[in-house]
Amino acid sequence: MRSVEVAEVKGLKKMAANWQRAANGLRAGYRWFTGGQSLRVTGSRGKAGRSPMFYGAVAAAGVVAGYSVVSVAAAEAELHPPKYAWSHKGLLSALDHQSIRRGYLVYKEVCSACHSMQYISFRNLVGVSHTENEARVLAEEYEYPGDNDEEGNPTTRQGKISDAFPNPYPNDEAAKFANNGALPPDLSLVVLGREGEDDYIFSILTGYFDPPEGVEVREGMAYNPYFPGGVIAMPQQLFLDSVEYEDGTPATVSQMAKDVTTFLRWASEPYHDDRKRIGFKVIMVTSVLALVAFYWKRRVWSVLKSRKIVYYSKGS
Amino acid sequence: MYVRSLVRTLQRCRSLTAGGVPAAAFRGATAAVTTTRGAHTDLPVPDFSAYRNSYADKPNEASSRGELGKRAAAYMVLGGGLAAGMVPTKDAIVGLLSTMSPSADVLAMATIEVDLSAIPEGKNVVLKWQGKPLFVRHRTAEEIDAAKNVDLSTLRDPQADDARVQRDQWMILIGVCTHLGCVPIANAGEYGGYFCPCHGSHYDTSGRIRKGPAPLNLAVPKYKFETDTSLVVG
Amino acid sequence: MAFGNAVYNALFRRTSTFALTAVLGGVVFERWYSSWSDSMWERINRGKLWKDIAHNYEEADE
Repeated sequence: MRSVEVAEVKGLKKMAANWQRAANGLRAGYRWFTGGQSLRVTGSRGKAGRSPMFYGAVAAAGVVAGYSVVSVAAAEAELHPPKYAWSHKGLLSALDHQSIRRGYLVYKEVCSACHSMQYISFRNLVGVSHTENEARVLAEEYEYPGDNDEEGNPTTRQGKISDAFPNPYPNDEAAKFANNGALPPDLSLVVLGREGEDDYIFSILTGYFDPPEGVEVREGMAYNPYFPGGVIAMPQQLFLDSVEYEDGTPATVSQMAKDVTTFLRWASEPYHDDRKRIGFKVIMVTSVLALVAFYWKRRVWSVLKSRKIVYYSKGS
Repeated sequence: MYVRSLVRTLQRCRSLTAGGVPAAAFRGATAAVTTTRGAHTDLPVPDFSAYRNSYADKPNEASSRGELGKRAAAYMVLGGGLAAGMVPTKDAIVGLLSTMSPSADVLAMATIEVDLSAIPEGKNVVLKWQGKPLFVRHRTAEEIDAAKNVDLSTLRDPQADDARVQRDQWMILIGVCTHLGCVPIANAGEYGGYFCPCHGSHYDTSGRIRKGPAPLNLAVPKYKFETDTSLVVG
Repeated sequence: MAFGNAVYNALFRRTSTFALTAVLGGVVFERWYSSWSDSMWERINRGKLWKDIAHNYEEADE
């Protein structure tokens, strides 16, 4: 009788489990553990404390088996982005500011039609990719809600350098309504907020293909194997010469994707360059301090460490 | 030999203090042991030459000269380490203190730029600056004359017009009545300056209190003229 | 070694002068170190920083 029920527990692992099966397994394991006599647990000496552990182990095995089958099905068409050689990837590598400047242009002309960047202001561009006057001119292109006038009517005003980048939609509902129900995410922190970071953003922007055989893509959606699930609500946005770069760089799709990704990396980490520069300084000076501390410890301890205790036997 | 002498001393103490306090006997015993121990002249000195510094490896020469140099080098290292340690210490202190200063977004909002070319003569413009109304008034020649030709002794809060303006034609004020904080109305009141509708305080064209309950003149913020047509307040 | 002894006798023998030496040395070291590390940073990242491209845009302002 016992061996039959052990087989039942083992069989559980093979079957794609659901809660009902996990419960069956629990029951089987419980009976197996208690030797087929459930009464023994409550009345036994010392065994009652162990049975809940076993209970939990069987339940966990069932749950894991069940979920893993489901997630394999969902992730079947997901493609992980390759690792690209970003010029800012090294320990001491700054962001390419010329690329940030081009990337802002791509954001402004392409992305900003749907995506907001609520945590970046025009003043943040000063000393990074634009001069103060340029940032002022950029800000003045936009209108913001102003103070109410004397009659209490809402007014608009010209953008100021201290304003954040404008939101293309008045609220999330309007944004969803305009985009087939999908909310375009805010891009301020998108590079840090996605697995794969720069590589993922670049891959998404350049990864549009015709859907393979058997993949259903609804009207208004697009196929992109780098997007989890493979079907993305954002159609391809970057095409050859979508923007015209002021520095004469050819505006290929990969060039624009690279520039806007660098720009978004800067937006996620405006402190990126300072972080690396100061980190270098700190590591250099603290390693010198560590050497000095080690030397001084040796000096202070030298008296104790160089003591010698000699024992002589009584006769010598 | 050592143990034997200890035993002998104990015996001697006991006989001396026969029946006395044991603690006292023990104290005597310890003292006796140290005196009996004697010199180590019977033991050979181990060879430490493998551990000696080069300046101290000659037993018949003074090591003080070389030792001083060694110490100088050691303190040079320590002093260098302390000097290098000053950098992170200073940066940590500056970093802590700088958390008390306003952040960049606050500083960015702290000033307002006013385009003066858009304000015609005789007009008072109300702007919002740091949440408060800001008056920028382009004064006419008569208003300037009226503000200048006032006997200061007749004023409640005596202040010359020259002390309140940088350029005579531009009067910059914070538009908050000094009585209870209403916003006064421009070009109104008995003195042609400002009139507070809440409790009837009259201010002149220099923003000075002339009549009514308010105790003080309208406040003048810090400002400077960037160019002839551009004013920066704050 | 004579130099070392002279320095030791003049500066390191007393704790007060030693501490003063360390503080003044710290001031000098900090100035040198920050300029050295910044120049290092700029050399490694030549052409990528804003200061390398700013001149292209600042002239247009004037």
